[in-house]
Amino acid sequence: MQDFLTHIDTLTTKFALTAVLLPLLAAIVNYVLPAKSKITGWISTLAILGSAVLCAFIFAKVWNQHEVHQQQLWFSIGDTKVYAGILLNNLSVLMLVLVSLVALPVHIYSTAYMKEDARYGRYFTYLSFFCFSMLALVVTDNLVLFYAFWELVGFSSYLLIGFWFTKPKAILANKKAFIMNRIGDIGLLTAIITLFVSCHTFDITQLFGANALVKTIAIPTNWQYLACAGLFLAVAAKSAQFPLHTWLPDAMEGPTSISALIHAATMVAAGVFLLGRFYPFFTPDELTILAIIGTFTAFMAATIALTQNDLKRILAYSTISQLGFMVAAMGIGAYSSSLFHLATHAFFKCLLFLVAGIVIHEMQHIKEENNLEIDPQNIQTMGGLRKKLPLTFIAAVIGGFALIGFPLTSGYLSKDSILVRSFEWAEDRNGIEKLLPLVLFLTSWLTAFYVARMVYKVFFGEFKPAISNPKINLHISDGGWQYKLPLILLAIGSLFPLFSYNPLASENAWLVKGFSSADTANELSIYQTYIPVLVNLGVVLVLYWAYTIYIGQRRLPISATAFLVRFSYNEWYIDRSYQRIIVKPVLALSRFACWIDPNIIDGFLHLLSKITLAFAKVTEWLDKNIVDGFLHLLAALVLGIGNFARRFQNGKVQYYLFSMLAIILAIFIFKILI
Amino acid sequence: MNLLSLLIFAPLLFALLIVVLPSSLRAGFKYINLLATLVQLGISIMLYLQFKTGSGFAGVNVESQFQFLQKLHWINLDLGSMGHMQIDYFVGIDGISITLVMLTSVVMVIAALASWEIKSNLKGYFALFLLLNTAVIGVFCALDFFLFYIFYELMLLPLYFLIGMWGGARRQYAAIKFFLYTLFGSVFMLLVMVGLYLSVKDPVTGNHTFNMIQMMNPANYDAGSVFSVLAHKTIFGISARTVGFVVLFIAFAIKVPVVPLHTWLPDAHVEAPTPVSIILAGVLLKVGGYGIIRICLGIFPDIAASGAWWLGLLGVISIIYGALNALAQRDLKRLIAYSSVSHMGFVLLGIASQTTEGISGALMQMVSHGFLSTMLFFLVGVIYNRVHDREIYNFHGLANLMPKYTTFVLIAFFASLGLPGLSAFMGESFSLLGAFKSTSVNGFLPYWMAVTGSVGVLLSAAYFLWTLQRMFFGSLSLKGGDVWKAALVDLNTREVLTLLPLAALALALGIMPSLVFDKVNDSVLALVHFLGNK
Repeated sequence: MQDFLTHIDTLTTKFALTAVLLPLLAAIVNYVLPAKSKITGWISTLAILGSAVLCAFIFAKVWNQHEVHQQQLWFSIGDTKVYAGILLNNLSVLMLVLVSLVALPVHIYSTAYMKEDARYGRYFTYLSFFCFSMLALVVTDNLVLFYAFWELVGFSSYLLIGFWFTKPKAILANKKAFIMNRIGDIGLLTAIITLFVSCHTFDITQLFGANALVKTIAIPTNWQYLACAGLFLAVAAKSAQFPLHTWLPDAMEGPTSISALIHAATMVAAGVFLLGRFYPFFTPDELTILAIIGTFTAFMAATIALTQNDLKRILAYSTISQLGFMVAAMGIGAYSSSLFHLATHAFFKCLLFLVAGIVIHEMQHIKEENNLEIDPQNIQTMGGLRKKLPLTFIAAVIGGFALIGFPLTSGYLSKDSILVRSFEWAEDRNGIEKLLPLVLFLTSWLTAFYVARMVYKVFFGEFKPAISNPKINLHISDGGWQYKLPLILLAIGSLFPLFSYNPLASENAWLVKGFSSADTANELSIYQTYIPVLVNLGVVLVLYWAYTIYIGQRRLPISATAFLVRFSYNEWYIDRSYQRIIVKPVLALSRFACWIDPNIIDGFLHLLSKITLAFAKVTEWLDKNIVDGFLHLLAALVLGIGNFARRFQNGKVQYYLFSMLAIILAIFIFKILI
Repeated sequence: MNLLSLLIFAPLLFALLIVVLPSSLRAGFKYINLLATLVQLGISIMLYLQFKTGSGFAGVNVESQFQFLQKLHWINLDLGSMGHMQIDYFVGIDGISITLVMLTSVVMVIAALASWEIKSNLKGYFALFLLLNTAVIGVFCALDFFLFYIFYELMLLPLYFLIGMWGGARRQYAAIKFFLYTLFGSVFMLLVMVGLYLSVKDPVTGNHTFNMIQMMNPANYDAGSVFSVLAHKTIFGISARTVGFVVLFIAFAIKVPVVPLHTWLPDAHVEAPTPVSIILAGVLLKVGGYGIIRICLGIFPDIAASGAWWLGLLGVISIIYGALNALAQRDLKRLIAYSSVSHMGFVLLGIASQTTEGISGALMQMVSHGFLSTMLFFLVGVIYNRVHDREIYNFHGLANLMPKYTTFVLIAFFASLGLPGLSAFMGESFSLLGAFKSTSVNGFLPYWMAVTGSVGVLLSAAYFLWTLQRMFFGSLSLKGGDVWKAALVDLNTREVLTLLPLAALALALGIMPSLVFDKVNDSVLALVHFLGNK
């Protein structure tokens, strides 16, 4: 029996391995094929379809049953053996299914969306590579590989944001995304190192599993803080939380299908997934900080989304806001609600982005056909599109309602579950913690407003360019089945039946039940009833109010140039302050370092060489004038004496006699005198 | 014939062949040179495959555990009452040297392929190239300090001429700067070497000896000799062993190079022709790291322990300072030269930690940096040969014009900035891990050093991605206009064949780090054990 079970586990592991490697294989094949080849799209799609089927099978085997963990030696360093393996538990199989299910419609959509691109094949290479990294990230069982795939998803995102590499904005955006994610990576690396040094293993099961080492081993307090800070940076970078969120809105420069998959549904959720993996590590205080940051991010991003005019930017900020909800949920101990929201959000946000992709595509089409000077992403220039794009419109409404958290949608179930639990959590707390649920509550209304504004401006009213120029041709439609099918699939995924039989109560959703053992938040209370009612009453009012403003032409209660509006429109001036406070000083510092080398270090060396040369000159002078001078003096002296004495040797006898006489006389005189 | 000696002297034989061949055959010299390096690569692969692992083959301070040993009496002077002067031809390798020997052989093949660009005075160039080759391999294999010193100095001579004669506009300045810098280090090394010789006696013969392995055993030191551990002799009031360690460290730190002894490197790289840059960055810098491990740590383990903090500090400074400098450069080759300074800082940090993870990481980083810097300098050489310019701001949007080239640049840049799956990631992370672990294992390094070091990982992403943005992406615009556009053709077959193995190696080491770790593991364990029982 035991053998049989192991055999089944091995089979499941093999399936998981295949599911992960299929997209990699597709990426390699596509890379080899010519860049324009249209077959690449179908290779990638088939690969992800295969993965999705396998993932569904694995899910059925593992969900709410025993976890599967198999590994083998990867390498050893010193006494440490590092294993590579696959860990399948509820969290990993949920993510497996989610990623492959969301990726599938995006692949289908992409085959149509990218069909005119010259680097079609390259696009699918990158896309498949992303899917491989993301699937591998969720099943890997050790922290070294976790880090590796964590960074590889960032790398694929870099490649895809900058896919149109001739666009300067896209290149700036992908650089920014990668560098900001690198900050998170350093944090994660520091945390992993800290954990390894204290617990002597990289194995996720040993660290965070049943007998979590992080709980049993006493990690020194400052290391605990260090690791926690590192993990926080990692989450903030990947899941675009304040203060590292600014890369995500810029990342919208990539193809919209990529924004849908990577920058809305999957990769950005990796931060929340990381929290799910590392959950036992955090202490209650650290979780509270997490809750505060998540709530703040949710609120901040929602206020920014209120005034943006770029369709994709609005959605990007709404993603940041929703990720804030998830992080906050993790912070308040609503583990299951957080993952629930992660799953529902993946469907509806992906749907909304695909809608945006169609809208932008068609606007681009109108622009080119009529030679208009409009920005195809600006919602101010749209309007009335519901008649031309009926299916897209319906999809947008479903996605929008899910994002708002309206009853009958999946978003309602997950978001209200977070709200309810936040109120329960705050019950016996004071100060700022008491405020958190209220802020989340308010954020839900803000969400309703910006979603309403977006949908009204895009789909209702009159098509703006047609007002001034009635002769415009509008040859646009929802597009072929590659557009329609993904919308339909994702729209179905955004409704309640996929997650719960009861459209109004989240506590019985299968997803929540699968994770409820990790929850610390209370169940069932008075909030369960009246919070959803209050929220949705407010939402209806907000929707109506927005309707009167954007359709009924009522004036906004605040002028467009008011400080708050500018503050929101300029995204709280965060990006600009980073530029001023961080980027510029670092560049100045680097120029300073660059100045030191030639001037200080080499300056010192050149000074040394000058001193040596001067010293050499002195010795040269000494040599020439003192040492040689003495020699020359000596020589001159000898010469002088010689010349003097020579004169006495002139060969005349008389002269010799005279000389002798003179000498004798001289001696005598000398003797007498002395 | 001992394989190792064959490996060391084979290039010399080819050099002789080139010298005696008439100059009319000079068109064939580059092929002879390539053949020489390929022969050498073949021998290295044989060595690598035959290399035995296990705790019985750790080497480090046990002579019998070294492999491919060869020991011949070389200079044996009878000095009467002072005994015999004993200098041996003594070579052998252990886990620490095998990977570096392998690295050298690969880099030399690449450098030989890059030598196609050399057009003048071919006989002299290739003869010097092969002489340098012998010297470098010799350094990694020599176990007799005297022999080591000879090979060490022998590297200088060919390099001086290779930079000074075949280099760029300011080649004279760069060559002299390089020569004096290195000589400054090695002259004092000579004094320490003599001091060690006079302190150590071969326990078997009773003669003074240059045997490095015997220098590692405190029992072999004469009581009362200068460098004896027990005698506590001083030089100028400072402990003699500290002076010895510092002098040797400075000599090797210049090679690594460690900030602030690094300023020869950017100049030498910028002026040197591509193949010489490749050898400089790919191999010569590793001589510094190797020397620190084998000699500074091996012979002066006590001082290495007390000075570890300073070593770590210098490592961190090199990482950050090199990276900041790279960020500010406008010349692509200079940028890569400074990135070398930064990446070699990780090596020093890993060594300073004196943990198994740290030292293995440092060795991995050396091997990885060897391949990657080779690749990077080769890539710079590609555009420099086409338009004789490499100023970053003079190029824009190269990806439109040279897609294959851009792909390789992308691989090399991302590998260098430590993308997982490629080699530098393993080296850097384990160096940092070792540095962090040192806090709790031996207390040598405070943990802020590891944390600060990791900022270098961030900065490297910044300068490499910024360069990609400035030079390769965006719309095409070149300073040289249409002339450049015509000149900048994409990679040819020879260039692709050169780059492909390097990219494959970077990938292989990233996915299968055991290629290095398995070979070095026993030696590193033995070394750490040895350092712990100093």
